[in-house]
Amino acid sequence: MNEHTQTKRPPGTCVTWEEKRPEFPKIEGDEQLVKRVWEDVDALGYTYIWQVLLSF
Amino acid sequence: MSTAMEQRYQQRLARYVTAMRNEKPDMVPIRPLVAEFTACYAGYTIQEVTQDCQKAFAAARKCAADFDWDAVAGNMVYGWSGLTQAIGLRYYATPGIDLPVNTSFQYLEPGDDEAWMRADEYDLLIEDVTGYLFNVWLPRVSADVSPTGQPSTFRNNMSFLKGGMAMLDYFHNFGRQAALLRSESGTVSCLSGILKAPFDILADKLRGYKGLCMDMFRQPDKVLKACEALMPHLLHVALSGADPDKNVPIGLWMHRGCIPFLSPSQFEKFYWPTLKQIIEELWARGHQTLFYAEGEWNPNLKWIAELPELSIIYHVDRGDIFEVHRAVGEKFCISGGVPNDLLAFGTPDEVKACCKKVIECVGREGGYIMDASAIMQDDTKVENLRAMTDATREYGVY
Repeated sequence: MNEHTQTKRPPGTCVTWEEKRPEFPKIEGDEQLVKRVWEDVDALGYTYIWQVLLSF
Repeated sequence: MSTAMEQRYQQRLARYVTAMRNEKPDMVPIRPLVAEFTACYAGYTIQEVTQDCQKAFAAARKCAADFDWDAVAGNMVYGWSGLTQAIGLRYYATPGIDLPVNTSFQYLEPGDDEAWMRADEYDLLIEDVTGYLFNVWLPRVSADVSPTGQPSTFRNNMSFLKGGMAMLDYFHNFGRQAALLRSESGTVSCLSGILKAPFDILADKLRGYKGLCMDMFRQPDKVLKACEALMPHLLHVALSGADPDKNVPIGLWMHRGCIPFLSPSQFEKFYWPTLKQIIEELWARGHQTLFYAEGEWNPNLKWIAELPELSIIYHVDRGDIFEVHRAVGEKFCISGGVPNDLLAFGTPDEVKACCKKVIECVGREGGYIMDASAIMQDDTKVENLRAMTDATREYGVY
């Protein structure tokens, strides 16, 4: 299976939390905080490619 | 900011928003979409405003301060070449590098069999649009980005770093520009966010117009599915840049949906269904769309009339604005309709006569915004744009 069939990327995401989460064996603190910040910063990557496509 | 300037801003914002809600403000608002005109007026070359975005922002502010305009775009010379150079975009021709100093930047249509997306790649796109853009499309359109699976390079790494930082800086400047327009001249920043039709994305940046024309006959189902796959992403991008106060509209820039690029039946089948859904969804969330109908769109009016009342501001380019007003004037605010060739080659008296006619017919009951037919480049005469402004203030008071 190539990379295209391994991941589904909903709008606003590049690497989803569901894809990233297994890379942490354990989260000692607030997992929701880690998730929220991951998704917020991940969305910037999404903005980059889609704005290149639409605006430039 | 002075109290008087803030009052002027609030007055102009109310004027602009009232017209967009298809109601009657105190006077017809003026919202000229001026691009390279700003360079000519402010004394810059087109190369300067395209490559040095600070000069572009300054030129836009100078026009806003010198003319009595209610709302302007922060920078209509939108495709800043500092960013396109950082990424190494191949489809973009830059004034002063690829083009003469005073020629506007150009998007290059790919040659036959050289489209950025190949004809047999629809399934890859449909399955994972964002992944396709990063892994397949970007390495093709960028001179610096390495193809997936190939060794990375310094230029590859710098492309992402510089491109990302440059984009962040550029977009940040639009926020600063809106604040300066407000404080320096009481001018409203007229747009927030961007939308393109799914079909236009396929035509402009992926398959090319000629390639997509062939696809409409050879693999029409793939084209439709690709439009559907693009649709939620384009909605997301539009919402992410939209005005949180829901005052100013999202800009929708349309290219290949009009006559003669598509027949009305092709428009109905390929172009319209997904775009219509996006506009409806935006309106359901309270956002209007500036429906920038560049070219001749009147043969498609019967479909556009299906949109919810007030969901768009219908901008008229080459269509008959009086026919547009008869067809959809009850539902939507209308803008534009002053021909660019008149602004380039006519006299101030001719411009004033045209504006008077448009205001008296289309703007009679409100719901009209004064503007040229299409984005104004370097051929618009200063005295004619001044005549358009003066005529609107003379004839456009309710």
